[in-house]
Amino acid sequence: MSDFDSELDASGLNCPLPILRAKKAISALENGQTLKIIATDPGSVKDFEAFCKQTGNELLSSGEEGGKFVFMIKKP
Amino acid sequence: MSTRLSGPERRQSILKESQRLFAEKGFHGVSIDEIARAVDVSPAILYRHFSSKQALYDAVLLELSSQRESYVDAVVNSDANFEEVLIGMTEVFIRSIDTNPNLLRIEMQSLLDGNPATSEFFENRWKSFSDYINFSMNERLSYDLANREITILSASLMFQGMVREALLQKYLQPQDRLVDISLEELSRELVTLFLRAIGLQQTQLSQKETGDSALPETIISPS
Repeated sequence: MSDFDSELDASGLNCPLPILRAKKAISALENGQTLKIIATDPGSVKDFEAFCKQTGNELLSSGEEGGKFVFMIKKP
Repeated sequence: MSTRLSGPERRQSILKESQRLFAEKGFHGVSIDEIARAVDVSPAILYRHFSSKQALYDAVLLELSSQRESYVDAVVNSDANFEEVLIGMTEVFIRSIDTNPNLLRIEMQSLLDGNPATSEFFENRWKSFSDYINFSMNERLSYDLANREITILSASLMFQGMVREALLQKYLQPQDRLVDISLEELSRELVTLFLRAIGLQQTQLSQKETGDSALPETIISPS
C-alpha cells in the first residue's frame, strides 16, 4: 500500500502552476488523505511551505529526490 | 580607509554598488577604480573578491537573474480564476521592479550584450507567465482550432510584451504619464485588455467560479 492517495507531477512548471494544480488536486481529496507532489522549480520548497501555512493543509514532508523536489501534503 | 566588514559583508557591499553603477552606465561605462571608490576600498581588495570586471558583472547578473517571485498569495488569496491569478502575478512582478528598477535595466543590458544570464532572466522570471498562460489556454482552447499552438504562443508573447513595455515606460522613462498609475491599477488594466484581446468577454469573466478551474467555462475561439 502506498503512503499517499494521489500524485501530482508538476515537473518543469514554474510558480504558480504547481501550487494551483496542488490546490485543485487537494480539493478532490477526502479529509485525511495525502497528496504527493513532484516539482522541479527551486522556488517550490518555500512556496509549498507558505501554501500549507496559509491554507491549513499539513506539509508532512518536503525533500529532494534525484534532482526533483517531493512534497507530501495531507488534507486535514 | 573604510570601516571593517567581514568577507561576505564586503562582497555584498561590492555587489550592491556595482549593481547600481552597471545599471546606470552599462558594463563598458564603469571602471574597476570607480567601483572601488564607490565601495570605499582599494582596487586590490576588490580583486580579492572578484578576479575581473567581467567576473563582477557576471555575479551581479547572476544575483538578479536568479531572483524568483512567489505567487502563492495570488493563488491563495483569490478564488483562483484565471483573471484574478494573472492580476495577482502581474502585481507581484511589477512590484519587484518598483522595488528595484535595476532588475529591469540589467536585464535589458544582458539582452543587448548577449550575456548567457538572459536565459536565466527568462527561466526564473518570465517563464512563470508563459507557463501559466500556455497551460491555462491549453486546458480550455478548442483542440480542433487551426493554428492552435501559434495562438497560444502568440497570446503568451503578447502578454509578456505588454508587461515589459509598461515596465519600460513606467520605470525607465520616469517622465512618462504612466508614473502616476498605481501598480495595482496597471496590473488590472493590462490583464483586462489581454483577456479581451484573446477573446474572453467581460461578462464571462465576472461570473464567480467555484475555485479550481483555470479559465471560465468558455471555449476561446479567436477569429
